[in-house]
Amino acid sequence: MAVSARYFVRLKLRLLANGLRGRTQRVTLFVIGAVMAAAAAVSGYALFSVIGVLGEQRAAEVVFPLTGSAIVLGWLFLPLIIFGVDESLDPARFALLPLRHVTLVRGLFAASLVGVPAIATFAATLGMVHAAATLGGFFAATVELVGLTGGILLCAALSRAVTSAFATALRSRRSRDLATVALAGSAALLGPLQLGLRSAIERADWQGIGHVVDVLAWTPLGAPYSMGLDVAAGRLWAVPIKIVVVGATIALLLWWWSGSLEKAMLGAKSGSRERAASQRTPVDQLVPRWLPRNRFGALAGREMRYWWRETRRRATLISFVAVALFLPVLVAVSGGPAGASGAVLVFVAALAAVSLTNQFGFEGSAYAANVVAGVPGRVELAARATGLSVYVLPPLLVISVVASVVPGRGAAAPALIGTVLAAYGVALAVAMPISVRAAYALPDSTSPFAMSSGGGTAKGLLSFAALIGATIATAPLQIGAWLLGDVWLWIGLPVGIAYGAGAFVLGLRIAAPMLDDRMPELLATVSAGSQ
Amino acid sequence: MTVPEQRRSPDAALALRGLVKQFEAKVAVAGIDLDVPAGSFFGLLGPNGAGKTTTLSMAVGLLRPDLGQARILGYDVWADPIAAKSRIGVLPDGVRLFDRLTGTELLAYQGLLRGMDPTVVDRRSVELMDVLQLGAGNRTLVVDYSAGMKKKIGLACALLHAPRLLVLDEPFEAVDPVSAALIRGILQRYVTGGGTVVFSSHVMTVVERLCSHVAIMADGRIRVRGTLDEVRGDRSLEDVFVEVVGGRTATGSELSWL
Repeated sequence: MAVSARYFVRLKLRLLANGLRGRTQRVTLFVIGAVMAAAAAVSGYALFSVIGVLGEQRAAEVVFPLTGSAIVLGWLFLPLIIFGVDESLDPARFALLPLRHVTLVRGLFAASLVGVPAIATFAATLGMVHAAATLGGFFAATVELVGLTGGILLCAALSRAVTSAFATALRSRRSRDLATVALAGSAALLGPLQLGLRSAIERADWQGIGHVVDVLAWTPLGAPYSMGLDVAAGRLWAVPIKIVVVGATIALLLWWWSGSLEKAMLGAKSGSRERAASQRTPVDQLVPRWLPRNRFGALAGREMRYWWRETRRRATLISFVAVALFLPVLVAVSGGPAGASGAVLVFVAALAAVSLTNQFGFEGSAYAANVVAGVPGRVELAARATGLSVYVLPPLLVISVVASVVPGRGAAAPALIGTVLAAYGVALAVAMPISVRAAYALPDSTSPFAMSSGGGTAKGLLSFAALIGATIATAPLQIGAWLLGDVWLWIGLPVGIAYGAGAFVLGLRIAAPMLDDRMPELLATVSAGSQ
Repeated sequence: MTVPEQRRSPDAALALRGLVKQFEAKVAVAGIDLDVPAGSFFGLLGPNGAGKTTTLSMAVGLLRPDLGQARILGYDVWADPIAAKSRIGVLPDGVRLFDRLTGTELLAYQGLLRGMDPTVVDRRSVELMDVLQLGAGNRTLVVDYSAGMKKKIGLACALLHAPRLLVLDEPFEAVDPVSAALIRGILQRYVTGGGTVVFSSHVMTVVERLCSHVAIMADGRIRVRGTLDEVRGDRSLEDVFVEVVGGRTATGSELSWL
């Protein structure tokens, strides 16, 4: 009694359509996302096909596996860090149906291929088919098409397997720390690759890149995208081997995914934690010693608990720390120009604050308690920013110091800290109004990376908007630092703090009245679908 | 702080005037007028989907009505939300609690959020956890509580700041008989002490035992209202309810394959 994968696909499309029906804001976000994805797909297609039209066989042999690898890695990391995965078909909901495991995996996998990102990726890479056709004729194009199909299957399987495994790991306390290390470690693995490329490009060493790419083309990362070119170059024997490499990788990933899927279906709830009875008074249990015993203290104390106790938020924090550790270290090690570490840290600081762009979505309908208590918007938003800052400011400060001291520019540390704080403040200011105006509900799922249909696009878009806004708004400081030279080393810290604090207060002034005006509407938005 | 003309109907703890709410194509609440006398134990009855939750949400400021007014102890919920909201305790249904906190942390949170003195919060939280048999030293997260325990901690949150009006949405759903008896006792004492309780339910026996006043809703309108005896007459409340709502009674011929 095999249920066709078609039903899963149709179910997903139906959920997407119902989710959009009558919700203008969501439709708008979805359309914007789709248009941007289409633009990316068209430009990708153009880039790849032009290489073919120009008849640059060698260039294609370098560019295709290279961009292909970037695409695969993007599918691996972007869901973890920015987009989340579309889990409108929550595996746990199928637990009671008499479905065979294979059927379920096949169906969910097919459904995961139906989505804007997968279609856009596939459309962009079709340019490689065009190129293969001009370079090697019909047969080369056919083989490249087979390769691309394998490529998109690989991307989808990879992102599912990794997010699912990471989610399972995060649920159990024992493996949580392990998962953190694993994510940071795998992010750091990108380092050597990027370093090699970087130095090769700096030396304009096409030969060196060529060697790296020739190896890459045999790994699952590059193999799907280089098959057609092998035909064009007369290396027919390479095609079956690469097909086996890609096919085996997909099979392995699906097998891994199906394992963690089973765990997700059975263990929808983590076992209750045994906690020792506390002798402290209720208020002391909630509010840390250094916070005032009032509304603000209660809100900030609860936020601090939530950033650690709720899987979704913890995953956000962990991903942030992984990126925050990895990026600056990469820049410091690769010895970029003096301004590079500053620019990267601005990005990292903004990334931290951007996790607040959907701060009200995290707890969903529980926000009703604050609505009933009539919490003033100013207190609410300030307390939430405080809760996050407790976790992200220490790593930001440490990284700023390390990033200045390691390359021997210790004197620049205060100014760099100033810039980072300014960026953080500005990004908070941008994120706060967005979180009030453009909140969206998160699905009530077991996976911290789960997004409802189309939600991933919205999440990514809003985060990107906040990131770009924050980076632009910090530009005056960066320009100042560049123009002022040594003077900046002295005034950077106070100016940065003032700039960040000023921006934060401004953002608060804008967002707080908005929140006061639309608390019930916000509650309705974030609790949609979670009941 | 109190403007005399704001308190137009001091006798009503909760006064609703012409409340309307429409969701997309469906009219959930189609114009409701209701006065809940101060000191009464008021039961709002209705079948599933009658609009009870929507009505109560609009009454306490969780959902903005399309039309109409809601007054709590004389204060307009939508014009003067702070004054109105500080006087009520609410137990919403189908809404999550901040369930990643422990029970005591949640109570401390609610108390401070209501601007209470920390020492009072501490004293009352411990007492409530104890009385509601949730265990004063219990450090389990609320998310791991059973459904009945969640109702009890929700009720404790609503009671903590000693409001003069309690609005409870389905307070007895998923509660075991022992806990239900406990909750009934607490609520009865609260009303005896001068408080007002409004609660929604579709369990007739509970309503008959507790309420002084009832209103029956169906399809977004109030069909019958009055004191319990006025509504009930010499019949059982269940008979009146089924008649008013117009339910279908089984003839015995359907579902023959069962």
